[in-house]
Amino acid sequence: MTDQLLAELRKMRSTRTNLGLLAGMIALILLTVLLNGFVPEAAELTTHDNQHALLSAGTSAALFAALIGVMAITSEFRHGTIRPTFVVTPQRTRVIGAKVIASLVMGALFGLVAIGLSLGVGYAILAIRDIPLELGTGHLLWLVLGTPAMTAAWAALGVGLGAVVRNQVFAVIGLIVWAMVIDNLLRGLLPSIGGYTPVGASAALVADPADYVLAAGAGGLLLLGYVAALVAAGAILVGHRDVT
Amino acid sequence: MSALTKPPNRPGHHSLVESEQTLPDSQTAVVRAEHLSKRFGDLCAVDDLTFSLKPGTVTGFLGPNGAGKTTTLRMLLHLVEPSAGRVLVFGTRYQDLERPAAQVGAVLEAADFHPGRSGRDHLFSLALALGRDTQGGHWFRGRERAAADRVDSVLDLVELRSAGRRRVGSYSLGMRQRLGLAAALLGDPALLILDEPANGLDPEGVRWLRDFLRGFAADGKTVLVSSHVLAEVAQTVDDVIIINKGRLVTISPLAGLTARRTGTVRVRASGAHRLQAKLETEGLLVTLLDGDELLVEGAPSARVGEIAYQAGIPLAELVPESSSLEDVFLEMTSGEPS
Repeated sequence: MTDQLLAELRKMRSTRTNLGLLAGMIALILLTVLLNGFVPEAAELTTHDNQHALLSAGTSAALFAALIGVMAITSEFRHGTIRPTFVVTPQRTRVIGAKVIASLVMGALFGLVAIGLSLGVGYAILAIRDIPLELGTGHLLWLVLGTPAMTAAWAALGVGLGAVVRNQVFAVIGLIVWAMVIDNLLRGLLPSIGGYTPVGASAALVADPADYVLAAGAGGLLLLGYVAALVAAGAILVGHRDVT
Repeated sequence: MSALTKPPNRPGHHSLVESEQTLPDSQTAVVRAEHLSKRFGDLCAVDDLTFSLKPGTVTGFLGPNGAGKTTTLRMLLHLVEPSAGRVLVFGTRYQDLERPAAQVGAVLEAADFHPGRSGRDHLFSLALALGRDTQGGHWFRGRERAAADRVDSVLDLVELRSAGRRRVGSYSLGMRQRLGLAAALLGDPALLILDEPANGLDPEGVRWLRDFLRGFAADGKTVLVSSHVLAEVAQTVDDVIIINKGRLVTISPLAGLTARRTGTVRVRASGAHRLQAKLETEGLLVTLLDGDELLVEGAPSARVGEIAYQAGIPLAELVPESSSLEDVFLEMTSGEPS
């Protein structure tokens, strides 16, 4: 599958799609960190939870990472490149597998950039305003390791979603509506269930104090389960449906 | 006389049985479709199609729009799963071929590209997925170098080297066609499949493609090219497979298409009445036109000349009356055969 993986990485590097997603992600995270860092009073920023909110702005990279995966598969259906792709590699599962791995790599890179940005800039703001850091080393470590793990998982989740939906517009809208509306409603209205959604599991993975329904490790495992289920569904559907 | 017992070679009475006897078996056939069928819901796109391709030939796959050509080609390439029957490529199913793109190249649509990706990167990703035919070397650089070499050589082949680094969105239709062909040629295949390649090509492009395909077949390789316009491929193909409404109409060498369908010969001879009687005893349909001219149906001109020679009747003129290929094609693919 090395050949297919190199091919997928090449595809990801050769359009502006992922550069655009990266630029959008950086802009959003910078904006969030600057607002969270300079708008509140210094006293508000001394609390543990508010410092977490400031430094963990990078976790919003998950949505961008998911779009990497969604675009990796749906743009092939949209532009018809899925035909030459499958003619060269008729083992469709191998193609999906290569897309998943390539998306994991890209997603992890996005996550590293994101958490580096929010931790770095957030810490700089705290230092400028003479506010002592309240988050422990263990907490910071979960953020640094958990964020790329989470974004990698969401990128793979995006491939699964895209493979199931195929239509690019529907897949993107579905992703955004789920992650920003439905999942948030569930977590707000039914917290007992909300902790177990993909977003809830992700929050646990990056040690979000507002979502301590699950332990970090359990959250990571649950997220992995969602990824595996969606990718498997996508691979089965893509394997059985005619490419017309 | 033995010719009396032989039924006249009636137009419209030919095709399947006769063709199948001369077809290569699945061992030697480049492509062999066996009772291939595909249903999309209530629509039967391809219906019990059986045919095969000989190596070293250019075969035209003809039929009106909606006849099932594209669906057949996609079943061949494992993009569409047959509802019944099967199609073998080099004796095996496409998906079971080892490195299939090194044996089969396909150009399916004029626009299967991401407009924001360069032509070179499009080819590069496909070349990487295709893999190397030799092992060894650095696992990453070796693959990259092998892919780059192949990409450059096919870009040269289709004369796109200078435009390779431009985005496909800026390409003309002709350039996209050539890029599609370059992608099909990446693996140096022995079988090339083109679905309606002449659509949107200018006359120069059509000519370029024709010369390319003839050269490709001259190397002993095989081409299957579909079209809904016979004239587009008439100068390129050796054989034709004609389908209509998903069913096989005929398989024939191109030259045989007009001869077999019409088989009308115009003869002028001074002993026209005597020749008419003679031809009629041979079971041919003869019409006396005027004075010394006859219209003979049901036999090729050589047979008519032979009969006249045996009867000792000198001929002044012997002309096979063939209708144009396009007439024959339209007749075959519209409604009932004559």
